[in-house]
Amino acid sequence: MRLELGNILIKDVQFGEKTKVDNGILFVNKEEIISLVREDDNFISVEVELARPGESIRITPVKDVIEPRVKVEGPGGIFPGFMSKVDTVGSGRTHVLKGAAVVTTGKVVGFQEGIIDMTGPGADYTPFSQLNNVVLVCEPKDGLKQHDHERALRMAGLKVAVYLGEAGRNVTPNEVNVYESLPLLKSIEKYPNLPKVAYVQMLQSQGLLHDTYVYGVDAKQTLSTLINPTDIMDGAIISGNCVSACDKNTTYHHLNNPIVHDLFEKHGKEINFVGMIITNENVYLADKERSSNWAANLAEYIGVDGVVISQEGFGNPDTDLIMNCVKIEKKGIKTVIVTDEYAGRDGASQSLADADPLADAVVTGGNANEVIELPPMDKIIGYTEPVNSIAGGFDGSLRENGSIVVELQAITGATNELGFNKLSAKGF
Amino acid sequence: MKKKLVTNNPLVKEKFDNKLKVEFYDIDYLKILEKVRDMIHTGNKLLSHPLSGSVKPNETPYKTVIISENKGHLDIDSLMIIEQSISTTTRFMKDEMTPDWNERIREDFQTIDLSLIENVLRNMI
Repeated sequence: MRLELGNILIKDVQFGEKTKVDNGILFVNKEEIISLVREDDNFISVEVELARPGESIRITPVKDVIEPRVKVEGPGGIFPGFMSKVDTVGSGRTHVLKGAAVVTTGKVVGFQEGIIDMTGPGADYTPFSQLNNVVLVCEPKDGLKQHDHERALRMAGLKVAVYLGEAGRNVTPNEVNVYESLPLLKSIEKYPNLPKVAYVQMLQSQGLLHDTYVYGVDAKQTLSTLINPTDIMDGAIISGNCVSACDKNTTYHHLNNPIVHDLFEKHGKEINFVGMIITNENVYLADKERSSNWAANLAEYIGVDGVVISQEGFGNPDTDLIMNCVKIEKKGIKTVIVTDEYAGRDGASQSLADADPLADAVVTGGNANEVIELPPMDKIIGYTEPVNSIAGGFDGSLRENGSIVVELQAITGATNELGFNKLSAKGF
Repeated sequence: MKKKLVTNNPLVKEKFDNKLKVEFYDIDYLKILEKVRDMIHTGNKLLSHPLSGSVKPNETPYKTVIISENKGHLDIDSLMIIEQSISTTTRFMKDEMTPDWNERIREDFQTIDLSLIENVLRNMI
C-alpha cells in the first residue's frame, strides 16, 4: 500500500462567494455549509463561524475536530463507511487542507465539555489553536435525544469536512509525503537487520459519547484486528467520543496520528514498521480479556520485536492498557505505552488506575488535573454556561469577568494520549 | 454466570428491574463502589469495570456495576480492580466533590451510565 499525501498549506480562512482554495486562503461559502447541515432536520438552526490563530476567541463546548481531505487517486473515498462506500482506502493520492479544520460544537449533554482558546495561555495547550477553524454551532430541535444529537453532530462535521476537502481536489499541493507499507513477509525481507515494530492503538468503545468507528463499524462490536496504517490517513477511523476532552482522540487526531507518522519516519532507518493492530476498550471485563488476548496473539503472530501501545480516555481503559502491555510483554515482545495522568492537582498521587512492573517504558501526555486560569476572550463561539459543569470545571469555574479556572482536562487535546500535544515528562 | 446489577441510577432500575436482579441503593458513587467491594469480599465476582466511562468519578453521581450473583472464593483480580477504583475515586473527591447538579444534568448522567451498561447487557438478556 502506497499513499501520497499532498499537503495544501492553508494560512487563512475567509467567507467568500465560492468555496475554494486560492493562494493558501480557504474561502468558504457560508450558505452552502448551512444548507448542507440543514439537510438533517434534527437541527433547527446552524451558524458558521471562523476562528483563526491569535484571535481572541473561545470555542466551547467542542465535540469534534476534523481535517478536510479529498481522495484524488486510488480506490475509495474519505471516511469510508460514513461518507464513502466501504472500499479499502489508504492507497493512491489524498489531498489535505493542512492548517484548516472543521470544529463541531453543541450541548449534547448538560455537562458537555471541551475548550479551544485561539489565543492566551490556553492556546498553548491545544493544537487546534494553531488552525484556521470553520466552526459549526448547531441548534437541535426540541426533545432530540442525546444519542440522536451525537450522531447528527458527528455526521454534520464529516459532511462539512468532505465538502471543504473537495476544494483541494485540483490544487497543486505545497508538499507531497509518501507513506508505503509492504506485505508483512516482504517488509521483513527488505530490512532483515532492523527490529520489527508494530503499533497497537486502543479505541474508546464504551457507549454513548464514548464511541469510535472503523470503516463505519462501531468499535465496541469488533475483535482486535490488523489495519493498514495508511487507511487511517483517509479517515478509516472516526471519533464519536465526546467525553474527557483532554485525552479523547478527535477525528483530526486519527487522521494525523503522530505515532503512525513517527513510526513511518523511522521506518527503514532505525526500525521496521510492519503493521498496526487496533483493539477496543469495552466496559465488560470479559471483553477486556478477550480483546487484549487477541491483540497479544496478533502481535506474536506477526512476529514483532516491539510494540507501541496508545490508550484513549480515563479510568477503566487503564486496565485495558495494562492488560495489553502485560500480555504482549509475556510473549517476549517489548512494549512502550503512551498514556496521560490523573495525578491530582498537586501531581503527587498515583497517575493511573492500574499498574504493573512490566509497564516499565511509559510516555505521558501530562497531568490532566493541573489547574489553569484562562483569561476572558472577546468572542465566544458556542456556549460558556456548561463550563461550570464540565470535567475539570467546578462550581464557580466561570467567573463574572468571563475568565475560567479549570483543570487541563477541560481543554481539547491538552493531554492527548497519542502524543499530539506539547506536555510530557522526562525521567533522569 | 448469573449476573446482578448494583446501582444508584434510577434509570437503570427502571429499565432492568424485570429482566435482571437489580440491587438499587440510594447512596453516592463512592458508597456504591464500597458496597461492591464488600460483596467481592463475600465471594461475588466483578464483571464490569467500576470506572466505566471517561466521565470522572467526582463528576457523575451515578454508577452501575455488574457482578456475579453467585458467590465463590474471594476473587483477587476483582478485589484489586475495585480497590484501585475506590482509590482513584477518593483521589478525585479530595480535590473537588461532585457538584449538586440540576435535574437535566442528572438525567444526562443517568443516560450515560445506562448506555455504558446497556451495551454490555444487550446481548445477554
